[in-house]
Amino acid sequence: MPNRPNQTTLERQYARLGILLIAPTVVVFSAVIVYPLLAAIYLSLFSIYTPTLQGEFVGIDNYVKLLSGKLFWQSLGVTLTWTVGTLTLQVIFGVAMALLLNRSFWFRSLARSLVLFPYFLSTVVAVLVWRWLFNDLYGALNHILMRVGVIDMPLDWLGSMPNAMIGIILVGAWKYFPFVVIAVLARLQTIPEHLYEAAKIDGAGPIARFFDVTLPQLRSVLTVIILLRAIWDFKEFDLIYLLTGGGPVTSTQTLALLVYKEAFSLNQMGQAAAYAVAMMLVMLVFMVVYIRRTGTKET
Amino acid sequence: MSNHESKGTALLPSLSRRSLLTGITVAGAAAMMPRRLRAQEQITIRWWSPQSSPAQLAAYKTQISNFEALHENVKVVFEKTSDEGYAPQLAAAFASGEVPNIVTHLPSFAVSDYWRNGLLEPFNDVIEMVGPDKYYPGANDIYEIDKGQYAGTGIGNSAANMLWLRTDLMEKAGIDKAPETWDELLSAAQKMQGGGIYGAPLPYGANSMTSLVFIGVIHQGGGQVFSPELEVAIDSPETRDALEFYKAMREFCPPGATNYSWGESLTAFVSGATATGLYTGRVLANVNEQNPGIADSITCVTYPTKSADIPAWTFNDFPSVFIPKAASDMEATKQFAAFLFDPEGYIQQLHAAPGHVLPVLKTIAQDPAYLDNEIIKKYSAEVDLMSAAAAGGFNLGWESTAHQPNVKAGEIVNSGVIAEMVQRVVLNDENVDAVLGETASRIEEIMNA
Repeated sequence: MPNRPNQTTLERQYARLGILLIAPTVVVFSAVIVYPLLAAIYLSLFSIYTPTLQGEFVGIDNYVKLLSGKLFWQSLGVTLTWTVGTLTLQVIFGVAMALLLNRSFWFRSLARSLVLFPYFLSTVVAVLVWRWLFNDLYGALNHILMRVGVIDMPLDWLGSMPNAMIGIILVGAWKYFPFVVIAVLARLQTIPEHLYEAAKIDGAGPIARFFDVTLPQLRSVLTVIILLRAIWDFKEFDLIYLLTGGGPVTSTQTLALLVYKEAFSLNQMGQAAAYAVAMMLVMLVFMVVYIRRTGTKET
Repeated sequence: MSNHESKGTALLPSLSRRSLLTGITVAGAAAMMPRRLRAQEQITIRWWSPQSSPAQLAAYKTQISNFEALHENVKVVFEKTSDEGYAPQLAAAFASGEVPNIVTHLPSFAVSDYWRNGLLEPFNDVIEMVGPDKYYPGANDIYEIDKGQYAGTGIGNSAANMLWLRTDLMEKAGIDKAPETWDELLSAAQKMQGGGIYGAPLPYGANSMTSLVFIGVIHQGGGQVFSPELEVAIDSPETRDALEFYKAMREFCPPGATNYSWGESLTAFVSGATATGLYTGRVLANVNEQNPGIADSITCVTYPTKSADIPAWTFNDFPSVFIPKAASDMEATKQFAAFLFDPEGYIQQLHAAPGHVLPVLKTIAQDPAYLDNEIIKKYSAEVDLMSAAAAGGFNLGWESTAHQPNVKAGEIVNSGVIAEMVQRVVLNDENVDAVLGETASRIEEIMNA
């Protein structure tokens, strides 16, 4: 690093110390972010048999196949359907629950703790419980619906469409809505009470107060929540893989499942890397929006 | 030279020439012993298997304890995998070099795939240690992919697509004999369905069971997936008939069969939710343990065919044992692989699910200790039938005696292309001709990849 001519010795020492202090972060960042990223792009230019990692250079063939085939586009559509569906429910349930938990009632502290339970539960355990609930022969869900006369025969929750998509969206919403609750509840507690009092004096009812006072106050936090959860839901793998495996046929096969199937079932690591890079480019859009929003806020 | 000799003599004044020669012989013999077993360095052997019921785990524990008692510096660690999960797990293990030492109970077609890609250690030494004469004739042929080189060996046989029947429900429905043809099965399923009981638990899920079972149905319809020369032959009138039959059976299966794999299908029959079942002999132990009320009312036959003139086609996945080439401590690993066939542990392993994994060693099949089992005695006719069916069984890696070994069979099954074909025709009601054409093309692609 060239020294500025008017830099003092102390300044030069500070500059060197700065480089020294930032070096570990740069090394870790390079190892866990930059290297895998470059490796994925590099692999996507080869046809590689996964178990041996042997293969040949094919240039952009994997990308041509990706763009010309229907698998990628179909999986992208499934991913967007899942992301939009589950995210919408997460936000609706999350905001509603946060509003409820912001009110005074008995056992509020206990309720606030219990509502976080799905978020902290291991995905594997959660999926096993839900698969059991959805079971056609012994599942509680079908049993209750049949007992109350809503259905005559058990429903096939995870093996046919649109039930399978609805099933994963519901389970995803149940699993992740506590994140929205935590963030929104924290924001709700900082909204000045006098805003509500002023609205009341102006004759605003509960609904008007929600739309005119609460929602504008929540806008910034909701923007960040939606962007973060959109990124996390977009790349969700374990919950969907364990619930439906991508089926029926490929109706719930998201991009993450497609990458996994290509890499480890078909043993085509190069093609899988191409799908992963394409997926990353789509996610980049979310990232740019997120960075712009948070950057604007800081400014 | 003479100086050296005199020095040596001076250092070892009491050592006679005979003692020296004896010492050299002993040292030479010791040097020829497996180095790492002799040395007291700690060895860890990692053992993977998708078969891990509690009784099987107990049997593995016995085998591991017995082996560790013989080799104090060896520790064997058992790690579970699964029928649906082994392919990705092994792919990752091979790619990273962090492979298990020994893998058991995977289907033979998976072994041939790994062998053809140079990922496995030749198994000839282990077969020699077990004793080639102890095996049933031809038991290892499926593993001899290259002449004189064995990719693995069988740890058992299985008859995975037996038709299990509830005799009490048959009697109640006025069915006097086990179905032998598809029409008879459809009729029987229809008659026995009702009162909360479904006709059959056939799998329609996007998984390997659907693929493996449907490959059997194609053969039971007189068709084949590949010609003996391994040309793709799935696009045929026989496959159309098989799809039609499979679709017709859907109304006799539980709603959730669209997501069934081996576990769900087994549980459906064992719990009494279906009148027929499709599984190996594991049904016997599970019914006796979990639903003893129907234990005297179950029997099995080979799965029906389209017509009486088409012979039965039993799916035998030829459960295997193999060793990855990159495994550490190869000598100890091979000794442990051979030790798996030691009668005490092997019989306990077979008894863990009697009739599920059948012995590949004729010496074990005739062993009074093996025959001395309540379930094997009670269901001797069923066990004999399964043994005979498994002995004449096939899978996609070896569709008939006329077929060449298909080393791409594992990739075809894991790709899910056949299960997807079933789902598209049965669940989505797509055009059969279009789906079959696309399926054939995709299989061609995998073969040519």
